Amino acid sequence: MAKLNKDSLKTLSFITYFIILFVFWFILSGYLKSLLLFFGLVSVLFVFWMSYRAKALEEDSLPLKIILRLPFYWIWLFKEIFKSGITTTALIWNGKYSPQLISVKASQKNRTGIANYANAITLTPGTVTIEVDKKTFLVHALSKKLSEDLQTDDMNKVITDLDK
Amino acid sequence: MSYNYIELVSLVLLAIGCFFILSGSLGLIKLPDVFSRIHAAGLIDTLGSGFIVLALIVYSGFSLLSLKLLLIPLFLIFTSPVTGHAIALFAHESGYKPKGKNKK
Repeated sequence: MAKLNKDSLKTLSFITYFIILFVFWFILSGYLKSLLLFFGLVSVLFVFWMSYRAKALEEDSLPLKIILRLPFYWIWLFKEIFKSGITTTALIWNGKYSPQLISVKASQKNRTGIANYANAITLTPGTVTIEVDKKTFLVHALSKKLSEDLQTDDMNKVITDLDK
Repeated sequence: MSYNYIELVSLVLLAIGCFFILSGSLGLIKLPDVFSRIHAAGLIDTLGSGFIVLALIVYSGFSLLSLKLLLIPLFLIFTSPVTGHAIALFAHESGYKPKGKNKK
């Protein structure tokens, strides 16, 4: 996506949000009659108006720039979840856990990125973000290997690159 | 007994999901303190439910229903870290110290 000024970016994110809402309505209902589609449109417009009024459409709440990279990121995240899930399962069954607290630095620029990183840490089994300071997380890990995996900074880099 | 191919695949996926849920439940009982037990709960949330939904998608074939099924792990992925984080933060704030080594 080329350089867009702020207003057009905002309009574009409004349109994207609208499309996402309507697709979501369609997936949940599955109707194709025109009357029902019209009712769907009305309800989508209502939700749109409510989230506009609640100021939920600020600039970094719908990060347009990363929306195309998200599927790849999710596939990568599922892979990570699977890997550390296997490790955690093995730890539970063989009982060789040694819980520890570590602090992890985050290098994301905006709030969405930091929340994303903290959530990704919590989602991978075996590591939980306990406290989020400005740029450092307090993380509880189930074993030394899991905490070392986190300190290699791979996940941090991937999530920082997501927002370039 | 004759299984066809799709049923077999979904059966295997269901078995994997059940195994992860079993390990998560075992961990919930076995692990020493609050913080470690959150890990076990997270295992159920992500891998257990993920594999079971995957098995259901394979079983039902690709349709609108499978898109609806895909929404379940999507919502779980957004909500389960929040609950885990809330529990961990509250335990931390109220002064629980994580236990160090295994065997108490």
